[in-house]
Amino acid sequence: MIRKSPMKQESRQTISGADFEQYFQAQNLEKALEIKAEYQEQIEVAAGSTDLLVANYEKLHEIKNWLDLDKLDELRRIEVKDGQLHLGAMVTHLQLMRSDLVRNKFAVLAAAAEDVGSPQIRSRGTIGGNICTSSPAGDLLAPLLSYEAVFKLQSAAGERIVKAENFFTGPKRNLMEADELLTEIIIPLSENEREGAWIKVGRRKALVISTLTLAVVLEFEAEQIVKAGVAMGSVAPTPVRLGEVEAVMLGSKLSELDYKKLGQEVKARINPIDDLRGTKEYREDVAVDLMVRALNEIERKRG
Amino acid sequence: MQIRLTVNGDKRELEVTPYTRLLDLLREDLGLTGVKEGCGKGECGACTVIMNGELVASCLVPAPQADQAEILTIEGLGTRDDLHPIQESFVEAGAVQCGFCIPGMVLAGKRLLDQNPSPTEKEVRYGLSGNICRCTGYAKIIDAVMLAADKLAVEGSDDNDRSE
Repeated sequence: MIRKSPMKQESRQTISGADFEQYFQAQNLEKALEIKAEYQEQIEVAAGSTDLLVANYEKLHEIKNWLDLDKLDELRRIEVKDGQLHLGAMVTHLQLMRSDLVRNKFAVLAAAAEDVGSPQIRSRGTIGGNICTSSPAGDLLAPLLSYEAVFKLQSAAGERIVKAENFFTGPKRNLMEADELLTEIIIPLSENEREGAWIKVGRRKALVISTLTLAVVLEFEAEQIVKAGVAMGSVAPTPVRLGEVEAVMLGSKLSELDYKKLGQEVKARINPIDDLRGTKEYREDVAVDLMVRALNEIERKRG
Repeated sequence: MQIRLTVNGDKRELEVTPYTRLLDLLREDLGLTGVKEGCGKGECGACTVIMNGELVASCLVPAPQADQAEILTIEGLGTRDDLHPIQESFVEAGAVQCGFCIPGMVLAGKRLLDQNPSPTEKEVRYGLSGNICRCTGYAKIIDAVMLAADKLAVEGSDDNDRSE
């Protein structure tokens, strides 16, 4: 191949036979799991590649082994089975925001998908990638915690189901083993009326890493809150579910809740840091307001 | 490795490495320099192309993932003598300043109008939200896309697109 540009020559070496021997574009899941079992942590998994190519900007050639899941159409399905929503790990943000099923039954997740990156990112980036990157700021993560999603992790040896709230162990860390791939995200449907709110705070509307995210999902029987999911992103080393805050709401009607006080409860239970997107104090103060805003929004939607 | 794809209506077979990005393949192997590299990290939208009907940042697509894809670049939209209505609108609205972001902007406008022929201004802003113009000429770019929507509504179907 002739390289006309004199720039970045060092990072664009010419082709050699070895280059593509180590690029595995698995044609089925079984094959992908086999390759993962063989290479373990020595292989980079490429889903939508929108994080992978940024993380390896100008050093792509240093990646020795690639496992590309792009051809695994079996992981691109959105379907309901046994009262649960099953999302393949390769479902894109664009698919999520366009799916009537997701929009109607999991509006908070659809809304979060709509706020990821930009049209260019949403068309490629996947839910599985968002989860496996495990950034505390990953936009889909708080909604997944609020909906009590579980993740199916598969390996050549077997599979296991892990709760979303147990999956994340630190910034960009999770409990996946080196031979495992995330294949499915499973979220229970509910018989009850569900209403929720999604709020993302960032410095711009598009292409922004969240300073703060909040996902609230409430289930009602008549007017009573019978189940609550409250989770936040970018306020702790991992996305966090705020069980104590949820507990305060259970059994009450919306009209009986003191929104401001719940906001304070949220603030008391998060542990943000100072970084270039915001200070600890800023995040704590805004978290209070977000909770109030989210509850107002739910109240408005319920009319 | 060998990949096959359709670029602006032409079938291509190319030898790529895993670390060739779709952007490199288009610019360097196929000479389609209307695709620009800005940030190289998916933030600016200058490298936007339409892949299988959707916008992508070609700097974030490993070439092997473009295997079997259908790609439209700005070169496939119109020619200097026969501009696509969206390109015409950009000229008429005075939307082009330095021009670097324009191929991406035009393609983002095209994809938006393909899917939503009569967008509101808000929808245009959302449709173009992955594209940055550092001349900051957004107002006229948005005018141009709105104008193009009117033109296409009058002219009917989008028959200038050679890839379809």
